[in-house]
Amino acid sequence: MNTFGFFVGLITLLIIGFGFFWVIRGEKYLGYLWWPYFMAAGTLLVAISLFLANDWASVLMGILGGSLIWGSTEFKEQAVRAELGWFPFNQKKIRPPFADVIGKWKAPRL
Amino acid sequence: MNINFIGLIAALTAFFSIWMGHVLVRKIERHSNSIKFPAACFVIIGIFLQIGSFLSASSILSTTLGIFSMTTIWDSFELFRQQKRVIKGRSPANPSNPRHAQILKQHQSATTVDLLKRDPVGYLVNVDDALNLAAKKGKL
Repeated sequence: MNTFGFFVGLITLLIIGFGFFWVIRGEKYLGYLWWPYFMAAGTLLVAISLFLANDWASVLMGILGGSLIWGSTEFKEQAVRAELGWFPFNQKKIRPPFADVIGKWKAPRL
Repeated sequence: MNINFIGLIAALTAFFSIWMGHVLVRKIERHSNSIKFPAACFVIIGIFLQIGSFLSASSILSTTLGIFSMTTIWDSFELFRQQKRVIKGRSPANPSNPRHAQILKQHQSATTVDLLKRDPVGYLVNVDDALNLAAKKGKL
């Protein structure tokens, strides 16, 4: 019996659960315009996972990366939720580098 | 140096299974009169995927099925959470679904408008603003 996938699945749930936390906090303090940076960080983690020989290390790195990419597509909707008062709204956000350029891009919403 | 694809495959499985669940849960909750039946289906499919994961000799297949299994079982709970969102008006109700029609009758908070389908404006909005912004986006 192969229990590897079972434990990977459990860890995936934990990482997704942690995603709820950091997307809410990230949007509150940083704002949704940071989404390309989170997407890039996620892509970088997935790329690093290719070079890890240990299966557990590679899988953890990959799932963390995939979760970061997913979270980056949730930022815009989270910003709207905060504006509706469903989550604490914070006016003083830390703007990302190149915020003006990013503002012109269409933020993803899946 | 050898390339280890297991992390990439885990990332793709996690990403696409979250996406699929995200879309399926909303669609099924919106159109199905019953949510208990699809919720039970999600659990049963999830258990079969998990059995497949236990029985696979390859780590890659075991990983894919293991992740897919857990997110499918999670989707079952999400169906009930999605109904709560509809009751609160945080997700739009579908008047042609009898269960949603009942929710619209019983709960003042429920609405048919999707308040999230717009770009952020950068300030707190009140109920009227929220409806106007959602309506404007609908026309574009």
